[in-house]
Formats: sequence, structure tokens, C-alpha cells
Amino acid sequence: MKFGALERIKSLSPNLLSPDIYEPFQRAWRHRELIRAVARREFISRFRGSALGPLWAVLSPLFMMLTYTVVFSVTAPQLAAGKSITDYAAGIFIGLIVFNLFSELAYRSPMLLHEHVNFVKKSIFPSETIAWTATIRAFTYGGIAFLVFLVFRLVTGGAWHWSLLFTPFLVIPFALMILGVVWFFMALGAFTRDVAHIMASIVPILMFATPVFYSLEQLPPNVATLLRLNLIGDYIEMFRAIALDGRIPNLIGYLIVAIVSYAVFWFGYQFFMRYKSVIVDVI
Amino acid sequence: MSSEPIIVSQGVGKAFQIYAHQNDQLKQILFGLWKKFYKDKWVLNDVSFSVAKGERVGLIGRNGAGKTTLLQILCGITRPTRGSFSVKGRIAPILALGSGFDGLLTGRENARIGAAILGLSRREVDACIEDIAAFADIGSAFEQPMRTYSSGMLARVAFAICAYAKADILIVDEALSVGDETFQKKCEAFIANFAKTGTILMVSHDLEFLRHLCDRVIWLDNGVVRLTGDPAEVVDAYRAEMTPAA
Repeated sequence: MKFGALERIKSLSPNLLSPDIYEPFQRAWRHRELIRAVARREFISRFRGSALGPLWAVLSPLFMMLTYTVVFSVTAPQLAAGKSITDYAAGIFIGLIVFNLFSELAYRSPMLLHEHVNFVKKSIFPSETIAWTATIRAFTYGGIAFLVFLVFRLVTGGAWHWSLLFTPFLVIPFALMILGVVWFFMALGAFTRDVAHIMASIVPILMFATPVFYSLEQLPPNVATLLRLNLIGDYIEMFRAIALDGRIPNLIGYLIVAIVSYAVFWFGYQFFMRYKSVIVDVI
Repeated sequence: MSSEPIIVSQGVGKAFQIYAHQNDQLKQILFGLWKKFYKDKWVLNDVSFSVAKGERVGLIGRNGAGKTTLLQILCGITRPTRGSFSVKGRIAPILALGSGFDGLLTGRENARIGAAILGLSRREVDACIEDIAAFADIGSAFEQPMRTYSSGMLARVAFAICAYAKADILIVDEALSVGDETFQKKCEAFIANFAKTGTILMVSHDLEFLRHLCDRVIWLDNGVVRLTGDPAEVVDAYRAEMTPAA
């Protein structure tokens, strides 16, 4: 059988070659009722059978905040590098909110299609919406954690800055980047379960390459430049800037990060849609 | 056929990719442009038929004949490897019982999701959720988690959702056999009524059921249409073949 590369490239969907910018959003909008229903299901089934229910979404970040503040005030004042302990703990907490959001989805995305196998195989189900619902869920918990953080900050004597109004401009490109990542690993994970194991090994390493427990300013400049390639770290630094330092991030840096995020989103979407019809047969 | 065809299948064939090793799937993604890592297994070879609007068509065939794959293709779940098909109108598939239901959620919550998957808006679901409950007729169990349901109760909810999906075409795969007598009667009445406005394609191993409910039966064998026509004739021929020679 002839199986040249040219034939395969020609068989790619025309969409891949002349992309339609609005298409992923149009598809999501068309299926908004479904996304809403499935997202709701995720929330209900997560808290079904627990006495405190949705209160856990508030309690777990609260306990995390308290733990970090207490632990660091006892053990590591020197790490704070001149900042107060609460500021240092707050910086870590922001880093953790952002990184946990990423890592939760990174761990989960290779298994997403397997979780929803009955939907995908047994009904007319637009499988790309699974990435939206998973991302919505993760961002809802992340958002609650962020609100808990803001309240905690106020209680422990920190201030709210006007720069917080910039939050949506960070959340949107960050969410798009995450969506792209989810689509990519969702498709890959459908073909081989190794992806889930690979993620379980990589994500903890990535955590140390991300300024969660430290800040880029504390590093030697050449290392810091290298770590800027890690988009999650850039987002953490920008979130710290608007929430703790009260300043708008460097706009050129922000634009570069946003554009790269959008590219990740676009690539992930195209990758998933390219393999969508094959995936049904392999999971 | 007096009225226009609503489902047309022309030479539909489906090959699944068979991989010798699990790893070959990944190799196929990474290096698929240059080399082929799988073998084709043809489940459907060349299936051509058409279904007219308002027809009740039964699909029979031995296990592995490709019935479910054919229904999945018509529903748009999986793509045919060759051939073409067209389906005009909204499809409500009842493909596997209780699949897609979340055991932790109640019947009502699952019914809402099921209806959303079929493309109903929230307003439409609000409007018909009580009708779905009434059709399923499982009483207060509708408010209980679905993991407590019997298979018959799952079937009732699954069928009830599709019954109110405002579909033009109903595609049923082996869904009715687990319901009790009362519910089967109800489904038969519904199917008879549905055929006045819509089209039905159903797979069943209950030959008597198909014989008195269908206008036409298609016999699928080894990925091709073996025989199509009057239910009594096709069912008898099929039965003759399936009964081992004495």
C-alpha cells in the first residue's frame, strides 16, 4: 500500500491549513448548554455524600494558607529575603494556586477521555467540550482559592490594590493556555496510558522549575531568563505583581506571554480536532 | 418508496486499526506521516441501503456482524473508512443502556445531562423533565442516585430521555429487552406513535418483536447487507440460517 507523506499531508483537514480563528469558541458556544450541564455534574458528584459539601472548596485553601503561614514563620525566615513572613507566605500561596491549577489538569487530562468513555463512545457527544468542563471546574476552585486568599490577606493586614482589576486580563490567556495543554494531553492520553505516568513524573520536576517557592528576582539573571520560558512561572510572577505589589505587569512581557498562550491554545485545539475521529476507535 | 429517503448509506465500510503492540499506537501518531504501524480490520465492507421518512426498520445479524458499528456511523460517533452516508434530521440514539449515566447523580440530574447531550436547551429540558419522569414511571426512585437502579429502571430512564428529545430519527440498539412487560408495551406504543412523524432504526435479537413492529428488516452479515425486505421473510430466512442443521 502506498503511504507517502504527501498523501497524508493532503488528507489533513483544510481547517488546519487555513485556520478559522473563531472556530473553537463558536463550537464551545454552540454546545454551551452541554458544557453547563456536564460542568454542573462535576460539581454535584464531587460533593455528593460529603457533609460539608461545597464548603470544602473554601476550607481546603484556607487550611493551606494557615499551614504555610505558620510553617514559614517558624522555619524559614531567611527565605523571605527581607519581606515579612505573611508577604512571603502570600507569595507562595499565589504560586501554589496557579501551579495547582495547572498540575491538577496536567495530571487529569491524559485520563479525561477514559473517564468520559461512555459519553464519547455511546452518544453523540462533542468530545472537545470535555476540556472546557475540566478547565471550568479547575478555574472555579482556583477562583475560590484566590478569593479566600484575598480575604485572608485583608485579615492579616495586607492591602487590596487597584491593580487587582487587571486579574481578568491574566486569567483569560492563562485559561486559554491551560485549555490547549488539556486538549493536547487528552488526545495523547487516549492513545497510550503512558502519558498519565509521564505526567506524574514530569509535573513535580516542573514545580521546581517554576517560581512557586521562590521569586525570579532571587535567582541569578541567566537562570531567571531561562526560567521565563516556563509560562506558568510568568503567570505566577504577574499574579504576584497585581495582587501583592500593586503594579500592572510589564505590558510587552504580558503581550508576549499572552500571544504564546494563545498559540498553545490553538495548537492544542488543532491537535485534538485532528485526532478526534480516530480517538473514538482507540479508547 | 413513496416518501423521500431520510437515511442513505452508500457503500459504507469501516476498518478498525489493529495494532500488534500497544506502543504502535503512539508511534502511529508520532511517525504516522512516514510509516503505517497498524493493520486494517474491516468490520463493515460495503453497506448500502436507504430508509424512507416514517419507516420502522429493524436490523438483524449475528454477533459481530457490524450492527452497532453501523449505528455508530449513522449517529456520527465514528467515521466510515470508505463510502458515504447522509442523515437528515436530529437523531436520538439509545445505544447502550445506562451508559453515560453517573451513578452518584439522581435520575433527574442524569436525565438533564442526557437531554443536554441530545442537544436540548435548558429551557426545553425544563419543559419536558416532568414528562420524562412520567414516562420512565419509576416513582420516587427518580430522585435517588442512579447506582441504586436496576437495569430495567436504567432502561426506562434512557428510553424516556430519547422519547422526549424531539428527534426526527430514533436509533435503538438492544435497549428494550430488559424492561418488564408493562414498559415494553409502553415502548411499543411509543414506537408505533413515533413512526407517524419520525423514522426508527433498531437493532434487536428479539425477532418476534421486530416482526410485528417493523415495516422492513435488514439482515447484516459479514459487513454486507445479506437480505432486506418484508420482516416475516427476512426473519424466517435469518432463523433458518441460524438454526444448526439437524
